[in-house]
Amino acid sequence: MDALKETTEKEYCKILQQVVFADDPDNREIHLADAFELGRNSVSQLMMPPDELVSIHHAAVLRLSEEHPELTLGEVAGLLTLPLIEISMSYGMSFREQVEQRYQDIVDRRLQQANKLEAVGTLAAGISHDFNNILGSIIGYAELIDDELPEGSSGKKNIKHLLTASMRARDLVARMLAFARQGENCGMVVVDAVSEIREALDLVNVTEKEFTISLQTGIAPASVMAKPGQVQQIVMNLCINAVDAMAQSGEIRVYVERATASQCGYDGAASGLCVMVSDRGHGMTPEMQERIFDPFFTTKEPGKGTGLGLSIVHSLVAELGGELTVESRTSGDNCGSDFRFILPLVSDEQQGTGCRRSCSRLAAAQCMGR
Amino acid sequence: MAHILVIDDDVLLRDVVTQMLEKDNHYVEAACDGDEGLRMFRKNTPDIVITDIIMPGTEGLEIIKEMVRLVDDLPIVAMSGGGRHSSYTNNLKIAKALGARAMLPKPFTRTELFEAITVAMG
Repeated sequence: MDALKETTEKEYCKILQQVVFADDPDNREIHLADAFELGRNSVSQLMMPPDELVSIHHAAVLRLSEEHPELTLGEVAGLLTLPLIEISMSYGMSFREQVEQRYQDIVDRRLQQANKLEAVGTLAAGISHDFNNILGSIIGYAELIDDELPEGSSGKKNIKHLLTASMRARDLVARMLAFARQGENCGMVVVDAVSEIREALDLVNVTEKEFTISLQTGIAPASVMAKPGQVQQIVMNLCINAVDAMAQSGEIRVYVERATASQCGYDGAASGLCVMVSDRGHGMTPEMQERIFDPFFTTKEPGKGTGLGLSIVHSLVAELGGELTVESRTSGDNCGSDFRFILPLVSDEQQGTGCRRSCSRLAAAQCMGR
Repeated sequence: MAHILVIDDDVLLRDVVTQMLEKDNHYVEAACDGDEGLRMFRKNTPDIVITDIIMPGTEGLEIIKEMVRLVDDLPIVAMSGGGRHSSYTNNLKIAKALGARAMLPKPFTRTELFEAITVAMG
């Protein structure tokens, strides 16, 4: 048990570190989910009692704060009111149920956050017209009154304050509108999807040597609108999913071709890019296929996956205006899964700035599927 | 002194723009919506038009299109405070494409108003 405790503590400390130094809230939540999973495994599989986990948590927080003297103990612990403590100290539900509840809480919080952002955007767009008109009148009348007031008078000074406050309100509305629009095509450029796919496959080839990865492409280059690295991340996550679906070795086939007219569901768009990642793994039942894109849903063994890889793929494809589908068979010679996504192709006329190659290996570091 | 037609459904904004222009010795006519603006325009063609884009009835974009059709090379300033379905940047871009010569996002200061007029006058 001591060896197990030490290993768990080390691993837990590593995850804590990732949580504390996560560069954005999403990453923090992903690492937090890893911490939950570690706790769940430790309790349910390794029969570690919850109070052992509490002491592991304390030890890890202490170690982390020693390694990072710039952070106080309170800051480290405060960043992680980790469920492990709450769970083991509260009553009513079983430990496992409570861990599951915390998973759900994370999903709910994310949804709430997304809803909040959407609400801010809707509010900002909704009020901006009326609010800007009102501000226009205030600014205008203040300037007209300013003309009438003698230099050095207290009235003149007060009008200046009124104008300063009005300009601050103007900036605030502008900032709210900018915030509301920050996700809209922000940072999107024309990228060559085929280059990004090749880079993704090169990376998977390096890390998964037992697997053969073949690429068949009937179109090159294939220009799509995306943030550099996004297509690479989609394909990497799909390949990692395929690797995990197969036992020790096997072949992953990736097909890249122009989408047929019936595959393109876009309004009037004549052309799309169709990418299929096909494995000969164990396949998925219809029930599993129903849930496969849900955040935190995983069929992998505890400790092997966060259940986020495919939901990230799903949201990325949606962000790029595409569609993601899956076909899977659990028996027969053709057993396995085919993930297919379609992205709108950018026509030559739409390409003002020409093709930009994908950014290096950044997506590998961002690959969060496992 | 120029003859300026101001079209805006917001009574206070219309009034404040009118006062600013009159103080600068311009002759100003003010209309409370697009239909009234077009009537005034047809009756007595102004030197400059300053129009809001989002208004009840005939919208500013339609007015701009119609006025440009009626009079070549007309200096038009398009104002917009944004809309519920599109940003004012988009509205103003469309206005420019239709023939408005200067864009004036609301709220604006007097200096910005006169700068826009100068741009429209070329």
